[in-house]
Amino acid sequence: MRALIRLLRLYGPYRAWIASGLLLALATILANFGLLALAGWFLATAGLVGLGGYAAQNAFNFFTPAAGVRFFATVRVLGRYAGRIVDHEAALRQLARLRVFLFEKLEPLAPAALAAERSGDLLSRLVADIDRLGDVYLRVLAPFAVAVAAALAMAGTLAIFVPLAGLALLAGLALAGLAVPAASLALGARASREVVTTRNELRADAVDAIQGLAELLTYNAAPAVAARIGDANDRLIAREARLAAIAGLGAGAGQLIANATMGAALLIGLELAGAHHLPGADVPLLTLGALAAFEAVAPLPQAFQLLGGMAESARRVFAIADRAPPVREPKRSPARPQHLDIALSGVRLRYAPEAPWALDGLTLTIREGEHVTILGRSGAGKTSFINLLLRFVEYEEGSASLGGVELRAIRGDDVRSLFSVVSQRTQLFAGSIRDNLRIARPDADDASLWRALETAALSEFVRARSRGLDSPVGEGAARLSGGEARRLALARAALRDAPFLVLDEPTEGLDPLTEAALRGDLGRLAAGRTVISITHRLAFIAPNDRIVVLDSGRVAEDGTFAVLRTDGRIVPRLARLQEDLARI
Amino acid sequence: MLDRRLTAIARPARAGLYVAIGLGLAGGLLVILQALLLARIVNGAVFRHGPVPAGLLLALFVLFVLRAALTFLSEIAAHHAAASVKTELRRALMKRIVELGPAYTVGEGSADLATTLTDGVEALEPYLARYLPQMALVALVPLAILATLFPIDWMSGLVLAVSGPLIPLFMVFVGHQAEAINQRQWRQLLAMSAHMLDAIQGITTLKLFGRARDEIALIARISDDYRRTTMASLRVAFLTSAVLEFFASLAIALVAVIFGARLLHGHANFFAAFLVLLLVPEFFLPLRNLATHYHARMSALAAAQRIFEVLDAPVAQVSGIAIPPKGAVTILCRALEAGHEPGRTVLRGLDCEFPAGLATAIVGRSGAGKSSLAAAIVGFIAPSAGTILIDGVPLSVLDREAWWRQLAYVPQAPRTFAGTVAENLRLARPEADEASLREACRRALLLDVIDSLPQGLSTRLGEGGIGLSGGEIQRLALARAFLKDAPLLILDEATAHLDLETEALVAEAIADLARGRTAILIAHRLATVRRADRIVVMEDGRVAEYGTHEALVACGGAYAALLRGAAAPTETPCVR
Repeated sequence: MRALIRLLRLYGPYRAWIASGLLLALATILANFGLLALAGWFLATAGLVGLGGYAAQNAFNFFTPAAGVRFFATVRVLGRYAGRIVDHEAALRQLARLRVFLFEKLEPLAPAALAAERSGDLLSRLVADIDRLGDVYLRVLAPFAVAVAAALAMAGTLAIFVPLAGLALLAGLALAGLAVPAASLALGARASREVVTTRNELRADAVDAIQGLAELLTYNAAPAVAARIGDANDRLIAREARLAAIAGLGAGAGQLIANATMGAALLIGLELAGAHHLPGADVPLLTLGALAAFEAVAPLPQAFQLLGGMAESARRVFAIADRAPPVREPKRSPARPQHLDIALSGVRLRYAPEAPWALDGLTLTIREGEHVTILGRSGAGKTSFINLLLRFVEYEEGSASLGGVELRAIRGDDVRSLFSVVSQRTQLFAGSIRDNLRIARPDADDASLWRALETAALSEFVRARSRGLDSPVGEGAARLSGGEARRLALARAALRDAPFLVLDEPTEGLDPLTEAALRGDLGRLAAGRTVISITHRLAFIAPNDRIVVLDSGRVAEDGTFAVLRTDGRIVPRLARLQEDLARI
Repeated sequence: MLDRRLTAIARPARAGLYVAIGLGLAGGLLVILQALLLARIVNGAVFRHGPVPAGLLLALFVLFVLRAALTFLSEIAAHHAAASVKTELRRALMKRIVELGPAYTVGEGSADLATTLTDGVEALEPYLARYLPQMALVALVPLAILATLFPIDWMSGLVLAVSGPLIPLFMVFVGHQAEAINQRQWRQLLAMSAHMLDAIQGITTLKLFGRARDEIALIARISDDYRRTTMASLRVAFLTSAVLEFFASLAIALVAVIFGARLLHGHANFFAAFLVLLLVPEFFLPLRNLATHYHARMSALAAAQRIFEVLDAPVAQVSGIAIPPKGAVTILCRALEAGHEPGRTVLRGLDCEFPAGLATAIVGRSGAGKSSLAAAIVGFIAPSAGTILIDGVPLSVLDREAWWRQLAYVPQAPRTFAGTVAENLRLARPEADEASLREACRRALLLDVIDSLPQGLSTRLGEGGIGLSGGEIQRLALARAFLKDAPLLILDEATAHLDLETEALVAEAIADLARGRTAILIAHRLATVRRADRIVVMEDGRVAEYGTHEALVACGGAYAALLRGAAAPTETPCVR
């Protein structure tokens, strides 16, 4: 609920839209009320006057009420149309703003503070959850606000004629609009929670069954799984049936209350008219007015239903938005240092206050121009080391400096501008080859693009395409082979022309032939730069390369491959395993 | 067309639908009755005909209660009608997916199929429970109201009779336009989602290049485009309801003004006038309800299209009835041609033997047809030509399920299923006791991992449970195969890079598992190949070389080239 209130504050810039939307909606409901009440009174009065003979007929002002009826009818039609358009415009503008708001919050978190989230889950927060929040105003706030205002206005109008009837109407509206929906929500709370869980179970079972179909079939377990899906379906249906029954109860009760209120207004009118305390023509006014008034509360049961899901969506969105960025940025960076040596000493870092140390006293120096291979099993701290250099994560203890300047004092963007990173995870975006290259340098001309493609040995491939640089790469680079996609990432890195090159298993998942060819081309890119490559394998390492073996977040071995291979403790064992497990 | 088929699948729910329609119609008739009563009571009050008979008032309140009861019952009836259809569709879909097998599900995308089975079927509910009954009521209730009004006041009856049918006509006209705009909006939504996913997945890359700020501006623009398209479609949708509103309000105003004039001159009576006023909104109510459920039809049609695509997909492989040979079998492929999609053969006349009791490794570059060969032997894809003989018996005549009982299949990316570790293992042998489970884990080199789990074998995996690492899942799949202890093993070695240590454990467990069985190993590691008794080198859907490791290395052909990580020599002199 608190999340929903926070959401309200974000509506600020659209105050004018919202106010006009609410007024229009209010006008629509009041027009309907006025239309029916006035029509009822007008017909009754005309009937009475009709009995009164010519004199009465001539004295009766026919045109004012008739014009009133036409006026209300027009307001109703136009108000409904304009009101809905204004409402939706406001809600959709707010949605667009919310999306940008959430993405702005996501950006400083990536990648370290988002590592636990799957991209599908983030996407559904950015699209589905935010869409649902758009409904907070449309389907909950606006109907509530309008219903309250309209209820008071309509009950007040009836009260002018008969105070008791106004009171009865207010009570009826409160019952039908608040008490009944709240009660059905309370009754259905467990069932609707269970519907959600059961539906998730059904979905999980279905995904299991479909993705694991090959195994399930050969284990002759498919019928059992199909039966399990059938069971989940039956459970789901049973719970939906309970919800349907509760919804039916709510609808029936709401209708009964509306009719009973009209009946009460009628009885009050009859009583007073019978005692000549009330003109007879006011009886249809009271009756029809009471009936028409319930249009105001009609959307409220659904609003109550939606509230729970919306609160959950708001919670999910704010859970990300409130996450503290892992790195605090200084206002500005010092001047670029004279040299670009990396020096770490006793660096400790972890991803959460209680988590184990990912780097635990890492001490390491990399001189400008050096080529270093960082080796280690998964969890040894290789990725954390890179995250540290790229300012994706903050270090708690020790010192880390670049060219003698403490990393903390440099803005993340400025640190990263010194690095080119090529990894298996380097993302290519749906767009053309040119678009993807220009991410590295938006102002690059075609000549530089071609030079970069040349370095990555991709220029021939691009030239052979009919649309050249404008050829689309497809969603998820689907139109490129694995090797071509890596080469494009390579070309992007070449275009960037940064002093540091980080190679994070850039050939992982490629077949050995493509891998060997790509490794060859990496050499061209590495020339003249400081290269840090991280790997858990010993392939493609020259005897004179410097190797740093990480273990438990610390340097375990450091030296040239040739030396470590004979004198080391870990490297010889890895080399043996590597030989055994060579890929073909 | 689709509409008709959708109505046809509602057939099992026909009784339920009739009940829902009947209840709705009864509700409509009670409304008319209520209006008659009310008009009579109010007429009496206005013209002071003396006190209203208590019986009338009592009848009115009885009607209120009856109508509320009908509302409750029709809600339940509608749900029941939809429920039976949903259950039946889910059953049929699951059955068809099982029949179509993994060759189909891989191509179609498992997430999409799972969504069809759950949300796709769910999307039919509003159509079945609301739209269909309302369709019937739209015709019935206004007719009943007209039938009541005409004898009482033909003039207002005429106003309604003329304005009523105009609305659906106009709505069809607007609806056509709305459908086109709806589809455009749908495409825009997909494009926006795709872009957002791209941006989320690439957020690290964007940061690395210092471009994340630009992306934020782009997202703002795309969101705004989406708003514009959405508003365009909404304006049309709102126009539809504005038309309804217009006619309903116009009819009320018209009735009031015309009746007012007639009453004034004593040409009509108030009872009729008031009755008409009460019934006019009710006349348009079913139409308005239909309009609110119109989008239910749209989404149901979209969902139904996907459902029917799955249900209509042709089943390629049909099971035979012969009982497969027992024990370690020899498998012989003769001039085999097959592929995952019709018209795209991957295996092109493959001849090959997998001798009984020996481990045969299949190697080759990606796309050479290794996985297709495994899928054909397991029976997931049907050969378009040639045969697979199991100890001389064609695979096509064998009972599929009996054949599967003879083999253990370990795919490249095995899965854990929601449930405990023990349940995951018992897939292979439901009656296995705990000792056998532990023994299987021991042999798959997984026992240490299991013992370190919070509840050992009873630890829950997957949704709401813990996750295993890639290497652990692979060994769990091997443990399943150990437990099944089938005479034939078909294994697709994982290509994902694991730790060297983990990789060594997996390789060792695979070697242990293959021992003493007819084993077909799609191999990516030298360790696995070297331990195999025979090696098949595949190229372009055919066997390029066949022999032992030593023989093939000695002869220096494609296999030797593969080992060197070089391109194969153009001549391959090592066939047999």
